[in-house]
Parts: sequence; structure tokens; C-alpha cells
Amino acid sequence: MLARAIEEAGLPTAAIVLLKEQAVRVKPPRALWVPFPFGFALGNPDDAPFQHMVLAATLDLFKSTSAPVLADFPEDGEAPVRLLQATAARAEATSNVDADAADELTAMRGYYERWVDDHDGRTMVGLSGVPQRRWRGLMKYLQAYAAGDAPTYEDMPSDVAEPRFIRLAADDLKAFYMEARMCQRPDQKNNEVQQWFWTETATGNLLAQIAERMTASDDEPLTRAAFGIAR
Amino acid sequence: MPRLEDLTEVARQGHLNFPAFEHDDSPFVPLTKPLSEAKIGLVTTAGLQVRGDVPFVNNDQSFRVIPSDTPPRDILQSHTSIGFDRTAFIRDINISFPVDRLNELVEQGVIGSLSKNYYSFMGALRNPKQVEEETGPEVARLLMAEGVDAVFLTPT
Repeated sequence: MLARAIEEAGLPTAAIVLLKEQAVRVKPPRALWVPFPFGFALGNPDDAPFQHMVLAATLDLFKSTSAPVLADFPEDGEAPVRLLQATAARAEATSNVDADAADELTAMRGYYERWVDDHDGRTMVGLSGVPQRRWRGLMKYLQAYAAGDAPTYEDMPSDVAEPRFIRLAADDLKAFYMEARMCQRPDQKNNEVQQWFWTETATGNLLAQIAERMTASDDEPLTRAAFGIAR
Repeated sequence: MPRLEDLTEVARQGHLNFPAFEHDDSPFVPLTKPLSEAKIGLVTTAGLQVRGDVPFVNNDQSFRVIPSDTPPRDILQSHTSIGFDRTAFIRDINISFPVDRLNELVEQGVIGSLSKNYYSFMGALRNPKQVEEETGPEVARLLMAEGVDAVFLTPT
């Protein structure tokens, strides 16, 4: 759809698409369908040769003398098709999830900071606006929220609604934990990291509890935030 | 997700019933020069932003400008739906936003050059009318204004 709008305006486009059924209906001018899960548009992370094969197949579509053209990329990537979600994982939750999330966060900090150092400062933490070194207060606030209280939090930006802030904080916490875990256990990837987060960490448990409280509220901004935190 | 037959029935129906603007044909503008001489622009629907820019919200139809020389450490993803696995993008920005791969293609002479600015939209839009009529064409105009010859689009 975006490809169509850009081409309508006068520029040739070539797009990677993940949902073939959508592409058949929408008809982007030149599209390469890839058989990879969402989140893996170029195939495999840290696999430049494979990514170049996908790129070359997409750029090849510019040779076409008409549109639409919808080509198939022939090779599968390595990621599992189904992403593990909280509800499915938590049935197997271990006793680790009953630990104090704020203490657990402190224990993971060394791994997280080493991950960031090893990746030229790159981190997906940063959406909430609260620096991770100041998250102890954030954790106490989230714990009180999960318990059903109505806590206040001094670092919450005044121009962001509470459900939105909690969603962004949850995204930051997940990124922090995933990066820490990938440093701690480089052999684990994809669903193994998700499985660990939802079954073995107090913060995974905390976020699932927050989502449960929000979902039970029947208040639209809360249920929408919950949908993005855990389901 | 690709290969709908591999998904749960609920997920499969969710994707099949996702609203789409249906068309019978496509617009077509030919690329009039070899790729090795063309300036390529990158546009993604991965919900990316420069660190410190305003995060996307659900159904956000605006776009973010990402200068093409932005270091990967200064790019964040605020499309954080739990419908996709973020570990891939955490590991490697190129999985959805192939900035390093495109630079390599310029070095190899496969493509001529890259635009000064890249652009990001939000993905999973349920009624992208504003993208179709306003913000999409606006990005096309911005790319044309800097002499871009062709656009490469990536999802997340």
C-alpha cells in the first residue's frame, strides 16, 4: 500500500512482503514474498550473505517491464514460525518468578551493560525516557500497580498517559532483559529467550500480572496497553 | 506471518481478515537507469525512529526521518507489537533495516548511491488512508526532491 503510494507519486519501488495473501490483494508494484516470520524480513540476523541474497532478489525486480510482479524467495530462514507468547509459556513458570523483580533487575544489569558495550552502544532500551540506572523506583511503582494499588511515579513524563507510559516501560524492560540474556547465554535465541523471560524471571511475571490487571479493567486504553504487554 | 498453514487457526484468521485496500492492478514507473548508477532510498514500516524522537503509537500514520548516516546505536524501534519476535532486530538492525547491507552494495558497485534520508512508518495499520493519500506521497516527494531513482521497502 505504501509502495503503491510512492510509485503513484512517480518513483519505482521494490518491497519485501511477509504476507503473500495481503500482497495478492493489495498488489504492490514489485514485491518479493519471503517465507520468514514477522521480525525477520531479511532472513537471519547476523547472516550478511543470506541477507544479501534476499536483497539481490528484491533489487532484481527492477528489471520487470510491467507491474504487478510478485516473486517468491525460495529459501526458508532459521527462525521458528510461531512466537511463544506469555500465556502459553507461563503454565511452566518456575519458582524463580516469585523473586523480587527489582533485585533481579540489579542482578541482570552487568550482563545488559556488557551487551551494550559489545554492540557499540546499541540498545533497544530508551522508549520510556527513564534511564535504566534509575529503574529501581520504576520497578517499585510497577510492583505496586500490579498489586492493585494506585501508585504515583515521579519520573513519569507529565505529557504521557499512564497506560501508555507503562507500555513503553514494559518495552524497555523486555529489551533490557533480552539483551542481558543474549549476553549471558549467547547460544539461546528466539523462543528460548522468550521462554526464559516468561517462565523464569520475576519481571516477566510482573508484566504478565500488570497485563492481567489492565485487561480486567474493561477500560479501552488499559486493555489496548495490556494487549501489547503480554497475552 | 508467512506460510499461514503453519500458524494456529486464530492467528491465521487474524491475518486473513486483516483489512487491506484491494486493487486489480498496480501503478508502474520503470527504472530508467542501471541500478549501478541509481540513487536508492530506503523506506520501512518497522516503526523506527532516531533515539529521542517521538515513539509511534498504534495506527500512527505519520512518518519519521532517519538520516542515512545515523549510527545503528541511535535508532530505536517503537513498533513493539508482541506479534513479532524482537530478538532479531535487537541482534541485528539489518534484519528489518538493512543499512549496512546497502552500504556494502554501494561499495561493490551494485547500486550507485543512497539517499541522504531514509524514512520509517508504523506497521500493522488497520486503515492507512492517510498514508495512502498524504504521508506516503509526501515521503515520495521528499525522496524525489533529493534525486532518488528507486525505493526499497522493508517490513518488520
